[in-house]
Amino acid sequence: MRKIVSVVGVLSLVMGLACTSAAEPFDETALYKAAKEERQVNIYSYSSRVFKFGKTFEAKYPGIKVNGFDMDSPEIVTKVLAEQAAKNYVADVIFLKDPSTVVNELYNKKLVFNYVPSDLENLIPAHYKEPLLVHHASVDAIIYNNEKMAAPPIKSLWDMTMKEWKGRVIFPDPQKLSEYIEVLATIVQHSDEMAADYKRVFGQPIKLSPGVKNAGYEWILRLLNNDAIILGSTNDIAKAVGLSDQAQPPVGFTAYSRLRDKEKNPKLKFEIMLDVQPAMGVSTDVIVAIVNKASHPNAAKLLIRWMMGDEKGGQGYEPYFVFGNFPVRKDVSAPEGSKNLSDLNLWKSDPDYVWKHGQEVLDFWVAHLK
Amino acid sequence: MPPSAARYALTPALGIRKRRDIKMFSRAKTYFRKPHIVISLILLVILLFIVIVPFGKMVKDSFVWQFADARLSRNSHPGELTLFHWKRVFAGPLTQNILIRPLYNSISTSLGVSVFAMVIGAFLAWLVARTDLPFKKIVASVAVLPYVIPSYIHALAWLNLFKNDRIGGVAGVFQYLTGISPPDWLSYGYLPIVATLSLHYFPFTFLLVSAALSSIDSRLEESGEILGASRTYILRRITFPLILPALLSSFILTFSRVLGTFGTPYFLGTPVRYYTLSTQIYSNIINRIPSVGYILAFVLIAISSTVIFVNQRMIGKGKSFVTIGGKGFRIKDMPLGSLRYPFLIAIIALFCAAVVLPFTLILWQTFTLYPDDYSIRHLTLLFWTGHANTAFAEGEAGILRNPAIIGAAWNSIKLALTASLLAGLLGIFIGYAVVKGRNTRLAFSVEQLSFLPYLVPGIAFGALYLALFSHRIGPLPALYGTFFLIVLVCVAKNLPFTGRAGITSMLQIGNELEEAAETLGARWSMRFRKIILPLSLQGAISGFILVFITVMRELSLIILLVTPETRTLTTMTFRYQEQGYTQFSSAISVLIIFIVVCGEAVSKKLEKRSPANR
Repeated sequence: MRKIVSVVGVLSLVMGLACTSAAEPFDETALYKAAKEERQVNIYSYSSRVFKFGKTFEAKYPGIKVNGFDMDSPEIVTKVLAEQAAKNYVADVIFLKDPSTVVNELYNKKLVFNYVPSDLENLIPAHYKEPLLVHHASVDAIIYNNEKMAAPPIKSLWDMTMKEWKGRVIFPDPQKLSEYIEVLATIVQHSDEMAADYKRVFGQPIKLSPGVKNAGYEWILRLLNNDAIILGSTNDIAKAVGLSDQAQPPVGFTAYSRLRDKEKNPKLKFEIMLDVQPAMGVSTDVIVAIVNKASHPNAAKLLIRWMMGDEKGGQGYEPYFVFGNFPVRKDVSAPEGSKNLSDLNLWKSDPDYVWKHGQEVLDFWVAHLK
Repeated sequence: MPPSAARYALTPALGIRKRRDIKMFSRAKTYFRKPHIVISLILLVILLFIVIVPFGKMVKDSFVWQFADARLSRNSHPGELTLFHWKRVFAGPLTQNILIRPLYNSISTSLGVSVFAMVIGAFLAWLVARTDLPFKKIVASVAVLPYVIPSYIHALAWLNLFKNDRIGGVAGVFQYLTGISPPDWLSYGYLPIVATLSLHYFPFTFLLVSAALSSIDSRLEESGEILGASRTYILRRITFPLILPALLSSFILTFSRVLGTFGTPYFLGTPVRYYTLSTQIYSNIINRIPSVGYILAFVLIAISSTVIFVNQRMIGKGKSFVTIGGKGFRIKDMPLGSLRYPFLIAIIALFCAAVVLPFTLILWQTFTLYPDDYSIRHLTLLFWTGHANTAFAEGEAGILRNPAIIGAAWNSIKLALTASLLAGLLGIFIGYAVVKGRNTRLAFSVEQLSFLPYLVPGIAFGALYLALFSHRIGPLPALYGTFFLIVLVCVAKNLPFTGRAGITSMLQIGNELEEAAETLGARWSMRFRKIILPLSLQGAISGFILVFITVMRELSLIILLVTPETRTLTTMTFRYQEQGYTQFSSAISVLIIFIVVCGEAVSKKLEKRSPANR
């Protein structure tokens, strides 16, 4: 008798395990049915492309309206904090950059939770589904004017601190665009590689300025002292670098996905520099999550599932199937002509490091603005 | 005497005290019978909620560790008291760059703009109100247009003219025509900020000074003329002193407004690292270090308060600015003679720079197929009337077919109307309470409190309202997400416009009018309806117009408070701009301008029908 009990116990245990580990079929029909009763879903999005996948979602799932609301990532965090405090749960889904803040200010306080559609469990690498699902990776990199310059003019980040680039490097204002705090912090985090590359470029070890902690900070300082131009919009940077008919165009950091601006504006002639040492840019995760006590939880789940697309990219993912946005699904590769994320010489921003050191880096930047 | 009078006689001491009480009570009764006292007290209760409580929170938060401060210091304990933020601003490694240099830049740009805007606005107002300038009516109705055009359009127009090679892209018209690259000081920083903002803000002065001038009996000036005074002497000794309150009001309004302005100084200043305090406030609040943003806002408040203090000393005690007496009243035009047309030409040039040029620029932009491509063969109506089509503009319909934009337009109109009507009405009451109770502490506090929100930069004020009204306060439920909260923040922030307008016009209404009515037995409500309201309407309407325009164009104040249901047109332009759709954002700006101009035309109609103009 005892044997039978234990056999049953083991069996049920095994079955239980099987159920949680193997991909449980994603029951789209049931979810749609439940979502339809909720009639709508509110999504706060860092990207205006929300209207695009919202529209295809509404066509695919009639009866559910997508209320997209686009704003900057920090505003999304501020608003969700306020809505939770007010118990006025407006947002169902948030879709934003700045993972360090999302994790520390929202996820750790249980104000948002993770949702990974069950049929995607095996298709997304672990680091893209924990602690929160990553929708795509976004890259910030350096662009140059390829109408004027035949080849990428920069080989190392240190080139930008040299005399010939004085007043000709544009950097986005981290005081206004928080994602560039991430970029700067990541450069500081990799200060050993920065120091090694300095030695490679100049043939001698780096001498740090008084009071400067490491080669990463030294790079920021020298960039600022080299009369780097600060602009408050990545769109303006793409124009400043890329507009045609320039005698001496600058180079600049901007969002990789700005490449799609060229479709809107044929006068833009710029390209990304792929061979920059020690890294050509910084990648950051764009997160999608469901808000605590969301009023339309099923519609929220269905929408997230739609956003994640299918093995060919898919209609829901289509707006992000562009140069500079990199899919997280193992079965989807970057659009044709674009390298895959793993093939790029990139640094991945580390949410924990950014949370702990981002402000210090920003302070350094502000203190050395002259 | 009450029946218990006998008892008082038995206890004389008590009786005296009681009698004193009665005296006090009757004094209190007459005190409370004065309508301006009651109004002041009601206003104080309103101000308690919309000003004092938020301001208190601002002070408190500057001394308390916030959650996100964990990024700033390992020693932070959310909720506990600390001087950390104050030290960070006033005595830290950042002090030079977040306080001292930005402060210097803020003060110098604000002073520059106020002086220029005041000179242009006042002179224009005088030309329109007091001289035989040709086409006066047209000039008067277009004078407010520069303020209707978003100031970043002025900044953009400036760059299109004077941009040099420094920031890449395409150089401006100046370089294209002359082949000379303009120096940095002409392209970015102080000069362009002052020039563009002066062109943008002179309508403040124009509106307030015109209102003042139109209610000054020109016989005051004529009597000077009869006594043989020269024209400049009359201007200096009669006209100028009489419009002094209006001038100083507009100086304060412009000065404080520019101090808190973020967009244009940021846009024109960053390329040469010319930062102002408002940049620092914006950046700290967006970065969720509101405590530091609030402390920097205190600095702005301190500066503006000093300016206001000086202003009050200049208006002085006991001076009379009463110009609407119980007697007849008329205005006579002063002949400009041979200067008529030169002045007109100067005005036309001014309007070309401040209105025609920037407006043509954005209007043209809405028709360009590709941004920055102004060629005629690439013009299109797609961004206005295009159908939703995924192959173009990322599938967005032209703004006239876009339900999200039409919804936002209605929200904007609803918001601007409600806020300006409420603020306008409160402004008249503030004017009445402050002027009738002049030199009392009560009136003083009403005046100061109603002005305070104006000194807090929009983004900080919005952040405060968000933090405060996302919880329930006493009987008040959490207001976050409601349309009412957005109206409330707009009313509070713009109260100073209507409050100043109310005070300025009330200063000119003589007591004798109300006293006469009182003697004839008119109750206060009657006096208010028949005398005060009609006579102060001119001023109130100019305040109303200013608020309407300001709210239509408001962004930083409400950006944290809007939800998908309550979003406005401005919150949409911002994103399009950022996404590289200059055409959409320009088209929305044109739509805003169109709505504002209609609004102004309607209120002008109302003004004509108001009793004061009959």
